Amino acid sequence: MRFATPTPLIAMLLQAAYDPIREEIGRLQRNFQGLIWGFVAAWVILLLYTLMLTARERKIRREMERLKSMVEETEKK
Amino acid sequence: MFAMLALAMVLLVRNLYTISLLPDEVNQGQIFRIIFFHLPAAIAAMLGSAVALVASVMFLWKRNFQYDALAVAVTEVGLAFLAVNLVTGSIWAHVIWGIWWAWDPRLTSALICWILYAGYLILRQALEEPTQRATFAAVYSIFAFTDVPIVYFSIRWWRTIHPQPVFFSKDGSFPPDWSRALLINMVAIFLLYTVLTMIRLRQEQTQREIDYLRRTVHAI
Repeated sequence: MRFATPTPLIAMLLQAAYDPIREEIGRLQRNFQGLIWGFVAAWVILLLYTLMLTARERKIRREMERLKSMVEETEKK
Repeated sequence: MFAMLALAMVLLVRNLYTISLLPDEVNQGQIFRIIFFHLPAAIAAMLGSAVALVASVMFLWKRNFQYDALAVAVTEVGLAFLAVNLVTGSIWAHVIWGIWWAWDPRLTSALICWILYAGYLILRQALEEPTQRATFAAVYSIFAFTDVPIVYFSIRWWRTIHPQPVFFSKDGSFPPDWSRALLINMVAIFLLYTVLTMIRLRQEQTQREIDYLRRTVHAI
């Protein structure tokens, strides 16, 4: 009885496992996902800062109105 | 101010379309397009820190609180833009270098710059008396600016994994459409920076009025 040497079989399995096309598609997908995450991160940071500014603006306006009415009331007395 | 903000938004959104039409960079592929945010954010933050330096020096010289307000406004907005630069850089590094962060001279000096300017804002929170706060903050801002040239020249002074300048340099080899798209994004980001600084500056001025009214109320 003759058996085939295992070397060609291993080589075939290795070849099947390493698919350059699939690897390249994976690389391109990671590349594209990285780009999207980068853009999203940039916009999110700027949006968060803008929201922070808006919240502060509202707080300052409320404080201003409160103080103005306080001054007016004190002057009336 | 609204017109400037609208123009910045229109330019940024329109440019997203232009950027998507550009061909992929040969070695890095699509991720290279992140440069259209990464670089303008860094330049805007650096220019902001230069304005903060000038405003701080002017405050120490003239003792005019308008300069102090300008310094804090540009520094705070600059911090947000530097954060954009650091985060987009980190994402870019993860795709190309396989790591989120490297203790490389450019990256480290930029992070130190961010920490220094965050320290500037923390220092301002810690001081109550307005003149003392403005004086200490101005001196601190001048000190913090010493890191900015180090960030800029770090890629020339030391061996670093961060790439050398590719746009607007004699070694750069980018086609004109890439440079044009970058310039448009730069203009849009500068406009956005200016608008945010103007809003922050107005808030700082209103805060001073509030402080004045508080003193008036206490005096009455």
